[in-house]
Amino acid sequence: MLAQGVPSPEVGVGGVSPAAGLRWQLTPLLYSFGLYRKLSPWRTFVVEPLTRQSGSLELFFSPEFLSARTSEWIARTGIHATFPLLERGEKLAITIGAGVCFGAETSADFEGGVSILFGTFGLFFSYAPGVTLAPATLSLRVRLF
Amino acid sequence: MRATLFALVCVACVETVPPPHRLGRPERSDAHLAVSWIGHATMLIQIDDRFVLTDPILVDSIGGGVSRRKVGVPIDPRDLPPLDAVLISHMHFDHLSLDSLGKIEHRVHRAYMPQGGLVYLSNMAFDAVDVRRWETMEDRGMQITAVPVDHVGNRYQLDTWMHSFTGWVVRYHGVTVYVSGDTAYTGADFRATRERIGHIDLALLAIAPIHPRNFMKAVHMDPDEALAAFADLGADRMIPMHFDTFVDSTDKPHEARDRLAFLAREKKLGDRVRILEIGQQAVVLPK
Repeated sequence: MLAQGVPSPEVGVGGVSPAAGLRWQLTPLLYSFGLYRKLSPWRTFVVEPLTRQSGSLELFFSPEFLSARTSEWIARTGIHATFPLLERGEKLAITIGAGVCFGAETSADFEGGVSILFGTFGLFFSYAPGVTLAPATLSLRVRLF
Repeated sequence: MRATLFALVCVACVETVPPPHRLGRPERSDAHLAVSWIGHATMLIQIDDRFVLTDPILVDSIGGGVSRRKVGVPIDPRDLPPLDAVLISHMHFDHLSLDSLGKIEHRVHRAYMPQGGLVYLSNMAFDAVDVRRWETMEDRGMQITAVPVDHVGNRYQLDTWMHSFTGWVVRYHGVTVYVSGDTAYTGADFRATRERIGHIDLALLAIAPIHPRNFMKAVHMDPDEALAAFADLGADRMIPMHFDTFVDSTDKPHEARDRLAFLAREKKLGDRVRILEIGQQAVVLPK
């Protein structure tokens, strides 16, 4: 759980000026379809890297702090789907997702990205057209569990 | 310190050279017990009509591409016989390679993992079981027992609560083979195994990495300790493994192999200690 307290840095663009941000990632519920079949595919909050990277559907919740000329807390929630590309996802996996972004404004949210090294590092793109401060964000995702 | 940093840098820039021997089809009709070294801790064990593969690394790079083999894989995975058992000793990338298992998943009958290890396995076609310490699994006349060793069982550094590691004993048709996996030298574990298991025909023992010793000693045997383990186990013969395949230490090339050869000569062990090259096969017990 403590490992999930490590935030990922991000930059936001498309608003009045570029924004810097931090994003946290919580997984209230995950279903893995790549884990060995004798094990339970369900996880809450603590997710082993292979359980996610080998193929999974995940309910995500991401509090996020964005700062440009003004600062804003927002949160995104929705579904991520992760698919393994190389070495059962431990080397490379792709994630796509959609959900809702809420804060000062509420907006639909679309997400996508790739992750390497057991999911520890990833490059993720989010697009929430209704967030005027920074509708598009690019995150360097750091994720340990 | 400088040597350690040098070794870490070298991990990423290793060039893989071809193996000194190629294994064609490794089945031996003249062997009661035969062993082929595929490199690192990957040993193909044949006991009559049964085939067991240990810690299969059948690819040139591991750990998400971070670490490359120094010596290539000496066998095309398609040339491996149907495998009655794959034994995984622990979860480190140089022992559990999902890519390698993927290459052989349709020719493996069952994989044996240490207790708690299944969570590190993706959904392969073969059956897989995790085995508690001292538990024996029986399959069509072959017995596989998880025996105690002393190592670490995590995979991703932060999963330090995992203690998923083991040694193995395989018994079939009156032949007993011990497989150490990675382990520090703990005489009590080896002697306990001897006490419980009895006569061991062959011990496959890791002999490296050696240096930096103050760090490695807690998790890996050096050749001197491996010979002490060989004595503790009371095995008839020993074949070393886990050396000269990856850059995983500050050891000089062939240091572990040469040290073991020197010690074996000094202790007059003769053909009880057989050092294989990668891709080489030994008929340990002929028919």
